[in-house]
Amino acid sequence: MRKSVNRQSTPDVEENQEDKEPSFQELINIELIESGEKERLMELLRERLIECGWKDEMKALCRSFIKKKGRNNVTVDDLVHVITPKGRASIPDSVKAELLQRIRTFLMSAAL
Amino acid sequence: MSLPNEDSTSSTSDAQLNNIFGDLLDSIIVDVASECHRIAKLGLDRNFEEEEEEMRLSAQARVRVADPSNSSEANGKYLVDIFGQTHPPVANEIFECMNCGRTIMAGRFAPHLEKCMGKGRKARLKVTRSSTAAQTRHTRGNPGSTYSNYSNSNSTSRLPNGTSSAGGEEYSNGALEES
Repeated sequence: MRKSVNRQSTPDVEENQEDKEPSFQELINIELIESGEKERLMELLRERLIECGWKDEMKALCRSFIKKKGRNNVTVDDLVHVITPKGRASIPDSVKAELLQRIRTFLMSAAL
Repeated sequence: MSLPNEDSTSSTSDAQLNNIFGDLLDSIIVDVASECHRIAKLGLDRNFEEEEEEMRLSAQARVRVADPSNSSEANGKYLVDIFGQTHPPVANEIFECMNCGRTIMAGRFAPHLEKCMGKGRKARLKVTRSSTAAQTRHTRGNPGSTYSNYSNSNSTSRLPNGTSSAGGEEYSNGALEES
């Protein structure tokens, strides 16, 4: 049959047999999203990060990178790579602890 | 929903916690990066080019302030302001008064207007005289001017508004400015 469109053929059902069972991680993720808890956690984290000045630090990093590289040569991907290592490392411990606690609580309640 | 490994070791659940936290963090990082990218591309960051300029100017200013020979106080006759401009003590732009048509210096304009437009006694009489003069010019010989509420400084006994010449002291509105 001639294909008029270049399209990946849908994977056969047999190949998927092992993956049919969603992993624990995925189940949790689904539960998080469906209950709306993920959104709440994101808002909480966003708020805390703004309060402690983390967001401003990241924006300053971006701005200096953009100045160096030139406004029109920068992609979102570049900026993500600029921010990620510093961003992950400079989360205040209190913020991280608070979020982890909330997630733990959620996991407990979800597991019941 | 039945979850397998409910009593899994704490390390696994810690790993899960960190996974979830990392997931949230990544989303937020992408948001911040995307926002910065947008601001940069749209040129909305108004301070973008000014920052370096301002740093240089502030460094210059600091040098100037530290330099004692550039003291801004009583430098000769004039004071120097932060832009390095000097201002003479009396503003010296010259223009024309719209009321009397005289050429006036800007620094003397306010007192001039006071006299010219009517704070003082002489000003009010000046107004009277000029307006009555204008009125009588139009209405020839008819002394019925509505403006002459006050007597002319030259002749206090002259009656305004064509009232009868009987009452020497009477005035149409009873207001009299003693000259």
